[in-house]
Amino acid sequence: MRLLTHNMLSSNIKGVANGFPLRIEVEKVIEKQVELNADFLRNLFPKIEWKALLDAARTMGYAELPEEADSPMLDSDEFLNKFHHALLELHLEEGALVCPETGRRFPVNKGIPNMLLHEDEV
Amino acid sequence: MLYNVLRVIRCFYQSQQACSVLTIAQSLHQSGIFSTMREVNIKGASGLCTLVSDGQSDIPQSVSDSENMGKSSFSVQSTPEIEKKYVHHVYDAIAPHFSSTRFAKWPKVATFLSSLPSGSLVLDAGCGNGKYLGLNPDCFFIGCDISGPLIKICADRGHEVLVADAVNLPYRTGFGDAAISIAVLHHLSTEIRRKRAIEELVRVVKKGGLVLITVWAVEQEDRSLVAKWTPLTEKYVEEWIGPGSPHARSPSSLPLESIPENEDNGLRDHIKDSRENSMEEMPETSHLASKGKNDSLSLKHEKNTMNQQEYFVPWHLPYHRAEVSGASACALANGLAKKDDKKGAVVYNRYYHVFSEGELERLASGMDNAVIVERFYDKSNWCIILEKIL
Repeated sequence: MRLLTHNMLSSNIKGVANGFPLRIEVEKVIEKQVELNADFLRNLFPKIEWKALLDAARTMGYAELPEEADSPMLDSDEFLNKFHHALLELHLEEGALVCPETGRRFPVNKGIPNMLLHEDEV
Repeated sequence: MLYNVLRVIRCFYQSQQACSVLTIAQSLHQSGIFSTMREVNIKGASGLCTLVSDGQSDIPQSVSDSENMGKSSFSVQSTPEIEKKYVHHVYDAIAPHFSSTRFAKWPKVATFLSSLPSGSLVLDAGCGNGKYLGLNPDCFFIGCDISGPLIKICADRGHEVLVADAVNLPYRTGFGDAAISIAVLHHLSTEIRRKRAIEELVRVVKKGGLVLITVWAVEQEDRSLVAKWTPLTEKYVEEWIGPGSPHARSPSSLPLESIPENEDNGLRDHIKDSRENSMEEMPETSHLASKGKNDSLSLKHEKNTMNQQEYFVPWHLPYHRAEVSGASACALANGLAKKDDKKGAVVYNRYYHVFSEGELERLASGMDNAVIVERFYDKSNWCIILEKIL
């Protein structure tokens, strides 16, 4: 699971008012390089909840992102590289995503989160 | 006793969720004895009641008013039994075989994806084996499917995927640039769930975002393929699916005996994976030679089932593929699959609600935050493109 996906994921358990962001429990992180696409990053930037990305990256062991970010920074290659790395090159292979309100753990195995709810959670 | 049985059955009509009545109906299905269903219900009345009390913690006594629907314990997001048994478990069991036959890219989907702006984030809900993930190299795809085994296949190919339910997407609102739902909604067994899935697709894209939805059509180009399906009769629909089913309850529903079984059609001289299971999201022209007998059976079948929208569609899993799975042994033991030695395959049934002309549009047109910008019929599928406007 990439942090791009994590930034989109939200706990949809019945009764939860705000299930975003999910807290990350790390067991295994891997890094996989992928080509940088500046257009794509610029398109994504407005969608991203920066604080959630910042915290998630730190949890995954990457602390290079600035505390705050705004769109002019997208003109900087250095920023783009860091943004790209955090968003697309860090993978949570094993661990869990935790609902911020209920504490319910959604397992992540082999990089795949399982977000299916149990009968009593819908 | 009959009155009590009928009252219990009525409670299930009004619930969103088919329940343990399935087990009785299922064995009847396999023996093909529908005319005696009522009789069996009476005989098994105490058994039925036992199933009732075992299956549900509280049975709504007065759920006839629609406002109770939402408040009842049967949420639209709860997966009905028919979908668990005849969609989820089947795809889990056949995943690798299914995936190996799903490779042809439907041009209409490819065109849609290619038309998206470079750098778009595309969400594929019900992505299956990930056939369309990455189809446009300038876009980034995130796929989800309810089948873990299918998602594993996607992940092995390097795609960004997760296991999730299309009726309740675990996504923040408005995050995606576009979304696709290719041959998915016809596996949902109630109108409310199908509508909810459409609403979810619209919810997860941004304002101005596009959503492409395709579903199997009642109006199939190749009628001889339809003859291989098992129609679920009125009794099935009422007991397993409940009031969500949109098609009219006509008293002229034909008993099962008049519908030819797969095996009776056996004029096939060979069974190849792709041919036997060729009826998929891009149905191809039937490879079966059009014999005279087949024609008359097909015509009769077609005439008899004009209003029919609920079907079991077979999937033939060759024995050499089934051993790898292990799930097939369980499925056979549970009666969810049958062996066909003649074809050397385990036969699974998948539940489908095929869409009639205009039905998909009708479902989508009630939305206040999206409009239909395109509608078309292509290769036996009804398709629409929605644009989110609010």
